[in-house]
Amino acid sequence: MPAAPEPLLDVADMQGNILAGFNKDHQLLVALNIAEVAGTRRWLARVWPQISTLTQVLQFNSLFRSMRAQTGSEPVGLVASWFNIAFSHDAIVKLTSTNEADALPGRAFRAGLSAQRARGLADPVPEGERDPTAKWVVGSAGSAPDIFVIIASDRPTELEALALRVLPNPSQDGVDAPRMVWKELGETLPNLPGHEHFGWKDGVSQPGVRGLVSQNPEVLLTPRILQSAPDGEVEFAHPGQPLVWPGNFVLGYPHTDRNDGKPLGPAPLAFDWFRNGSFLVFRRLNQNVAGFAQFLEQQAASLAKTPGFAGLTPMQLGSLLVGRWPSGAPLSRMPLADDPVLAADRDANNDFLFASDSPLPNFLPGHSVASFPLAFEATKGPLCPHAAHIFKVNPRDHTTDVGPDFDTLTRRILRRGSPFGPPLISPLGGDDGVERGLHFLCYQASIEDQFEFLQKRWANTELGPTPGGHDIIIGQTKSMERTMEVPAIVRGQQPEVVTTPTQWVTPTGGGYFFAPSVSAIRDRFASGLPNEHGG
Amino acid sequence: MKVTNFNPPGNNTDLAGSATLQQKWSDKLSGYFTSGEDRLNNLLAAGSTRQFYNPLTRGSTAPDVAGSAGLITWNGFPRKFLSSTPGTAPNFEDAEPATLGVARPQDEYLEWFVRKSGDKITSVEFTCEGWDYYDFLAVEASAVLVQIYRTFIDPTVQLTELMSGNRYNRFNKWNTERGALHLTERANNLFAEVILAAEATVRRKNSSGAEVVAAGPLTTCSGFGDHLRNSDPAIGAAVNKLARQGRMVTLADPVGLYIDRLDLDSFSLPGNVPLTDWFRVLRGTATHTLRAVFAPPAGSSQTVSDVMIDEEPILFGGQIAQHITMKIVGVASVSTTVNNPLVACIGPILLSAAAVGAEPELPTRGGQ
Repeated sequence: MPAAPEPLLDVADMQGNILAGFNKDHQLLVALNIAEVAGTRRWLARVWPQISTLTQVLQFNSLFRSMRAQTGSEPVGLVASWFNIAFSHDAIVKLTSTNEADALPGRAFRAGLSAQRARGLADPVPEGERDPTAKWVVGSAGSAPDIFVIIASDRPTELEALALRVLPNPSQDGVDAPRMVWKELGETLPNLPGHEHFGWKDGVSQPGVRGLVSQNPEVLLTPRILQSAPDGEVEFAHPGQPLVWPGNFVLGYPHTDRNDGKPLGPAPLAFDWFRNGSFLVFRRLNQNVAGFAQFLEQQAASLAKTPGFAGLTPMQLGSLLVGRWPSGAPLSRMPLADDPVLAADRDANNDFLFASDSPLPNFLPGHSVASFPLAFEATKGPLCPHAAHIFKVNPRDHTTDVGPDFDTLTRRILRRGSPFGPPLISPLGGDDGVERGLHFLCYQASIEDQFEFLQKRWANTELGPTPGGHDIIIGQTKSMERTMEVPAIVRGQQPEVVTTPTQWVTPTGGGYFFAPSVSAIRDRFASGLPNEHGG
Repeated sequence: MKVTNFNPPGNNTDLAGSATLQQKWSDKLSGYFTSGEDRLNNLLAAGSTRQFYNPLTRGSTAPDVAGSAGLITWNGFPRKFLSSTPGTAPNFEDAEPATLGVARPQDEYLEWFVRKSGDKITSVEFTCEGWDYYDFLAVEASAVLVQIYRTFIDPTVQLTELMSGNRYNRFNKWNTERGALHLTERANNLFAEVILAAEATVRRKNSSGAEVVAAGPLTTCSGFGDHLRNSDPAIGAAVNKLARQGRMVTLADPVGLYIDRLDLDSFSLPGNVPLTDWFRVLRGTATHTLRAVFAPPAGSSQTVSDVMIDEEPILFGGQIAQHITMKIVGVASVSTTVNNPLVACIGPILLSAAAVGAEPELPTRGGQ
């Protein structure tokens, strides 16, 4: 049966961070509140032409990759600065209508990241409070921001210059322009680029989004280097990168059938301007780096006394909790030692499954793979704990409590976060009292089916997607206590259970937003003219 | 694992007064396991080792894997009522008809019944008891059967209302339009659970000779259930994975399908009052729950309709079922020495139940 044709993506109309990702070393997040609708429209009318589109980001990323491939190193002097924007439900009510805001698909977006929603996520409640969001620095209940701005650049000076140009200011936009209520800079860690504060490589695994970026059927959003999969199997663009239909991330396109992976829809939209938009989740997650390091130190020493864990190091225990070594090399391929060379090889570092042994990738002609140990989860496993972070949020081919691997495709999110705060150089020396963590950002077509599902149903529970314990890295429970079963590192020995009453990742801000198309911002949000094509 | 007898599901005390009845139930369960073993004789290649065993007749004291290796869980809400369209709620309404004489379409080994007073939901009762246990009671202990109905459904239930001629009618009014004492869906029975576990130990290959391991294709290839459910692929794939690791597998006593837990994190009452005692085990135990109810605790003036889930009011029992995790408990040997040759797929239709002989009247998950 011939493969279903992939849809042409409206790359000039989509905001660029959604499907391409800014991938910048410096990323400023800004929360704004609408003072007056008129001033907000005036500001939007001024800045919408500066919104970075998918076309622009793709072209830059392509040029960057091309130069890096040619020179073998990061291109020097190639700089881009990007600007994207998203709106809360309340903001859309103000700028369009209640009818339109309520017609956007999904209950979570309508509700917003309220106190109750945060309780549902099991966000911890500060002592003496009843509301988990009470002490958030941004997005606490009753003061959720209306507008969320992302400004990113390769250089801090360029970022500042762009921020000056695009953020509201009374001299250009009037005194009733939106008011800044919070801003914070996220930056790649200078000592560990691409890693999060605990020291592990982040963002290795992202889904491949189907779709064409031009009329030329050869030009795909996600390039393919693998042969097509037989009917009934998940198809991959790249080793470890499954293909998902774009409607799972952007409104107005075919989405993935949770039963067989085939395209469905697109789902009808109540208003034309919804097309090319995506829902954005922001979570400001503080990381207790010293506490995590101390836990690993103590727990590894304790486990090392048991028969299955002789010689266990703190880094190895941390890698069992994450599912990868700090370099990003997966435990499923390297169960006993890190391998930075494998970790740096994009064809190898994400190529593994959890239910099956992983065969050599079936490359298209012209591609080959370096020789690394393959993953043998099925016959030699478990090598990666079922409660390891990377398993909990993406169980790959492993069947789950809600169905097969095709269902898992519909849970995937596009992560666009970056660290904030300075690195803690000597974690075992104790905390320095400085805030640090992750600006978690992700795009999806349904907040409740994707982000909330992953957090609530899998990370926060002992039994989802399959039994083995909580995600000790990001999982949350009301009691804070979380347990995780860790398979022995000595073959043939019994697993042990790790328990902790401490959460090292704590939400301190957040919000649910909708990132509309550029045309929607221009024609509906900035102009205020009713949509003539509304349903 | 080795057992000396099989206990009733959830270690319930229905048969506590009669050693004869206890023995009959144990014998029945043992027959299920022996049927599973017999099926493997027909499925496996010559010279293979059966990796599924009857722990009563062939049990061993060799060590089993600790931890969660044999624990298999799935969501209790029927997958077929989910939408693939992002942000679209499941079809809760179609998932819970209560029609006389018709099986509920709730096929994840969890069925429920919604009780209302006017337009307010007063309780939602959940059951996960296989109907073959009640067939057994009807034949062997009809007084016990009636007493269970009177305890959990209505004190006026009469035996004649439960029977159709001299056979137990699982679609009787007290188990369909007036309540849910046990599972009604055709394949929701303990025999199906045992046979599914047995057949899932068979390692399969596709027409190209490659081993079939993905849950959906394995379910279809092996013919042991519906690949569109949560439960069958989860059970089949988990057992098959243990078999691929070379382990010996069986089901833990008491054999049954169980409600593991209701996750209340997303539930709320006005004023953020905790939902203490809203979900109560009615039959079985906390770890082997056969029957539970979601209802206001004694003395409360509230109703289920006052509860919100993710800030949405409860209109259907299925909204609660979506937060229920089901389980079966398997047991797998530490030893990983078995390495059987692969067996070709048999396609989507299971070997006919009649071919088995031991329990010809009971459908398995694939035989519907």
